[in-house]
Amino acid sequence: MTVCQFFLQGRCRFGDRCWNEHPGARGAGGARPPPASQQLSASNRRGWNASSQRYSNVIQPSSFSRSTPWGGSRGPDQASFGSSTGSGFGAAQRPFASLSSGDQDEQKLLEGIVKDVEVWESSGQWMFSAYSPLKTQPPVAGFTDISPEELRLEYHNFLTSNNLQSYLNSVQQLITQWKNRINQLKTINKSNRVALLPNLNNGVNQAAPALGFGSTQARMFGSSGSSKSVQNFSFKTSPGFAPATSGSPSVFGTLPALGAVPSAGSAVSASTPAFGFGKPQITSAASFSFKTPAASGFGSAGFSAAPTSLAGSPFGAAMALAFGGGTSVAGFGSPGSQSHTAFSKPSNNIFGSSSIPTSLPVSNVISATDKVLFTPKDQLTQEELEQFQSKKFTLGKIPLKPPPVELIHI
Amino acid sequence: MSLFGTTSKFGSNGSSVGTFGSAAADHHNPMKDIEVTSSPDDSIGCLSFSPASLPGNFLVAGSWANDVRCWEVQDNGQTVPKAQHIHAGPVLGVCWSDDGSKVFTASCDKTAKMWDLNSNLAIQIAQHDAPIKTVHWIKASNYRCVMTGSWDRTLKFWDTRSSNPVMALQLPERCYCADVVYPMAVVATARRGLIVYQLENQPSEVRRVESSLKFQNRCVAIFKDKHHKPNGFALGSIEGKIAFHYLNVPNSVKDSFTFKCHRSNRANSSGSQDIYAVNGMAFHPIHGTLATVGSDGRFNFWDKDGRAKLKTSEPLDQPISACCFNHNGNIFAYASSYDWSKGHEFYNPKRKNYIFLRNAAEELKPRNGK
Repeated sequence: MTVCQFFLQGRCRFGDRCWNEHPGARGAGGARPPPASQQLSASNRRGWNASSQRYSNVIQPSSFSRSTPWGGSRGPDQASFGSSTGSGFGAAQRPFASLSSGDQDEQKLLEGIVKDVEVWESSGQWMFSAYSPLKTQPPVAGFTDISPEELRLEYHNFLTSNNLQSYLNSVQQLITQWKNRINQLKTINKSNRVALLPNLNNGVNQAAPALGFGSTQARMFGSSGSSKSVQNFSFKTSPGFAPATSGSPSVFGTLPALGAVPSAGSAVSASTPAFGFGKPQITSAASFSFKTPAASGFGSAGFSAAPTSLAGSPFGAAMALAFGGGTSVAGFGSPGSQSHTAFSKPSNNIFGSSSIPTSLPVSNVISATDKVLFTPKDQLTQEELEQFQSKKFTLGKIPLKPPPVELIHI
Repeated sequence: MSLFGTTSKFGSNGSSVGTFGSAAADHHNPMKDIEVTSSPDDSIGCLSFSPASLPGNFLVAGSWANDVRCWEVQDNGQTVPKAQHIHAGPVLGVCWSDDGSKVFTASCDKTAKMWDLNSNLAIQIAQHDAPIKTVHWIKASNYRCVMTGSWDRTLKFWDTRSSNPVMALQLPERCYCADVVYPMAVVATARRGLIVYQLENQPSEVRRVESSLKFQNRCVAIFKDKHHKPNGFALGSIEGKIAFHYLNVPNSVKDSFTFKCHRSNRANSSGSQDIYAVNGMAFHPIHGTLATVGSDGRFNFWDKDGRAKLKTSEPLDQPISACCFNHNGNIFAYASSYDWSKGHEFYNPKRKNYIFLRNAAEELKPRNGK
């Protein structure tokens, strides 16, 4: 089979259907949706001589291949060229494909959320409910689940202790919290996906409003004398969330699932199109030159794509929200305050500095949900080791694994 | 025989139907159903009819006035109050034992009690760290126990003789509702958790189901297939939606579906609706059709196999907070009382709470053709 020259250049229009060989990346070329003219060509095929190539107003790739300097001799050098660059280009193609479909899904999701939230607000539905935009996902952070019975019990308890005012205050506080969250979600759009990201660490983020409420109320509750009701009403979530924070790796373990839903992941992809969040593969070489700083620290999270320098306001805010308990937009400083084991390895310096040598590769290996941010040196092949140690990556030789700890210079 | 102390309207009401509903704007009983005498003084949280093993029909209701009342429902519709017992906190769950001699009641006072109706004695059989929301009696081939689900995130099983649970299972979140049809049990928790248990030999978790609904779980009921084996459950949420989940069925994902209910269209804008919570659900024991009650003050009857709505009631002036069928499906009981769906501002302690009984033998027959 002749090697498709367009594919090698990264612009084969036929993709999977191309009659020429696409070396290296079997699915990569196919991921690109073929242009409309190809649909036409496919149906036309029946009406034409079967032996001829697909005929349309698109110039057939095979004719080009014959006329190019590389035409004719399909020797081993050709094959090696194809294969060595194939991975680089193949990978380059895929993020674009994911961008288009992921964006659409995400757009739909966001629209769905806005609609849901508007209906929620206007319909008189019970406010204090957990909410999941997609049924398969855990509830969005910022909404606490309180059943009417629990609320009513609180009312009765406060009534008997003659402390109705504190009940009213706490209810009012809950309502304003809810309203704020609703308003946040109503204005959610592509550049403001911060509200979705807390979805990932829903446990952690919930801790912030819930505990805050619980603790400030604790004194009031305590004074009401019904200490038992404290546990009931302060959402009993404090014990529940302690494990959540320490278990945040597992939260980030949900990232792959989330990544599988291209929606949330494209928080990264919007600003950095080269990074398919959740796609465990190397991004194109072009992105490496400025994406690498601050990348390694985020390893498994896949947010590795976001250096502070690149983080424009949406993304910076997104990161902060994801790691900062939802309140601070302080860039990357906040994660330090949380005991996320996923991020405890790199120091805060990584987040703060943007002058990291470009020898650091982007390590968006999402599969490392067990928080292997760095590969031990002995697991790297010689070639990979060389790559990590060189100043820049060579196309076609970019390692798929994260770099070893030793090679990271902060 | 007035066991209900100060609130007895015992002599005056009887089961008269005609005198009610005649006032101009009185919608407390638009369906002209039989009103239960001496209804509780505060909102009714749960209702339960006696099992088939007991001759006659006895209804128990737990209320937010901390009491549990029992009536005998006679065949002519008359309700005769029989007994009551008091908890230290509002009663959220009631259930009968299989032989009809005991009633188990679960309360916000973190205990569950076993009430022996013959002797009118109630002893505590369960203890939790937080209010107990659900109580169910389990009769297995080799054991019998009481299952209690609580807001302390545990599901405990009690042999009524010992003060320690025979088994305690951890829940991911607070238990909001549960249902048991041997050998299956389903528990719905906060944050949209749904867990299915199997009860043979000893209770064990089968799996966690992904809820098809986006909002808080409110009530759950198991349904049976035509061989009277449980094969799925219905889940109601605060969002006026019900999801049917089929389990142990080959194409369960395909057969599971959700539908909207207990919503009203506003007169002015065509788009927006009022959305009400589904407060309770019950399956007809014979026909397998579903009755649901909601905060909109209506009850609906549904045929899940024919995917059809059989009946919608007129709205009552209060939400309907609980419902249940008697053992042979002839009587449908529903309680009209405030369910806190709009918070404390709409709570009127002076408002009367009702329990209505309706003849359910005919209306719940499934549509033909399926």
